[in-house]
Amino acid sequence: MNIVGSFLINVAAFLVLAIGGGLGTAWYMMDTGSRLSTRTLGPWVTWTTAGRPDADPYTRAHTSRNALLPISSTLELTYVASTDSNGGRLHSACEYAIVMEDPEIAWWGIAAFDGRGNLITNTAERHAFNSETVMREPNGHAVITLARDARAGNWLPIGGGSRITLVLTVQDAAWAAASVERGAPKPLPEIQRVACR
Amino acid sequence: MKATILKLPRWMRQIGWRTVVGAALLAGIVHITATLAVPLLGPGNAFRKLQDTLPANQMVFLPPPTPTTQLLPFVAADALYAACRFDLASGSLTVSAVLSDPGWTLSLHTPQGDNFYVMPAQQLRRSEVSFVVTPASERLVDFGPRRVSGDDSQIESPVTQGLVLLRAPLRGLAWRAETEAKLRRASCTPVAPKR
Repeated sequence: MNIVGSFLINVAAFLVLAIGGGLGTAWYMMDTGSRLSTRTLGPWVTWTTAGRPDADPYTRAHTSRNALLPISSTLELTYVASTDSNGGRLHSACEYAIVMEDPEIAWWGIAAFDGRGNLITNTAERHAFNSETVMREPNGHAVITLARDARAGNWLPIGGGSRITLVLTVQDAAWAAASVERGAPKPLPEIQRVACR
Repeated sequence: MKATILKLPRWMRQIGWRTVVGAALLAGIVHITATLAVPLLGPGNAFRKLQDTLPANQMVFLPPPTPTTQLLPFVAADALYAACRFDLASGSLTVSAVLSDPGWTLSLHTPQGDNFYVMPAQQLRRSEVSFVVTPASERLVDFGPRRVSGDDSQIESPVTQGLVLLRAPLRGLAWRAETEAKLRRASCTPVAPKR
């Protein structure tokens, strides 16, 4: 190979590695995060410094890029799940059950969105439950069922034909403080796949 | 024993180590620049998305989130919201609201989404809250303080522009009208300059 060809290959490799590598790794760190900026608890992922003025640059970029307005993680933590507890991608073709055991949390809310954060159109016009609106079992637990078709109890419709993202918001200063040290004071609810079409 | 040598394609063997090291260094610079630039230059942050919807220094009751009216991604639909786009260029701002039930929050955000102040509803505390948002520079530069009631707390804003967000989770459909009425009572008004 002549010297011109070798030069062109080096220039192309340089640009691909520098631009592609730089932008690709930045995008990954902003979109998915790493142990530097996120904490994973089963299927749930939280950006540990979200909303705080001293947040790390990846968290700030994630917040800004996704048009989020998070409450400071010293008061409220937002956990996002796009898989069930067995690692399967959440999808509206399946039915899921989530058991909330929350007697000590000041306030929580759980909401279902499509993969891009949009509310899912459904005839029941129901998109979320919180600790005030959910129906509880006699033992205080709340079972939330995500399904395309109507279910008894706390049914959260998830439409049809799309990926699902669940957002669990926990507002409790004591929980948030304990989470900084230990990840979460209590296990987060499991997302169990019941059936798929 | 023969050593196993990884056989690279011929064109890859033309790439010199200086190219790889130089590219890695530039990739690092691109990575850092992109990460720091997104909050400052990215077009998709919440402030820019709400800018056209919200007049400056005025609390606006936002349409209840539905698949057709949702203004921002990942906004829970079991809550009602009011927001104020503040601009402290001409002075301080008084914010008043009612935080009546668990889950209600009044939060102040920079245009990049940082939450520099938050007040949650708490039991055993009065639900009516009121405070004055002042520009961070005012205390240092402006020795003639603006007319602020002695009853109001002052919150120093690190930015001139930003958002005040009042979130009111619904306890059920029966409480919707009451919740909306409370949100509509929230205000965001410039403090009258001292005469």
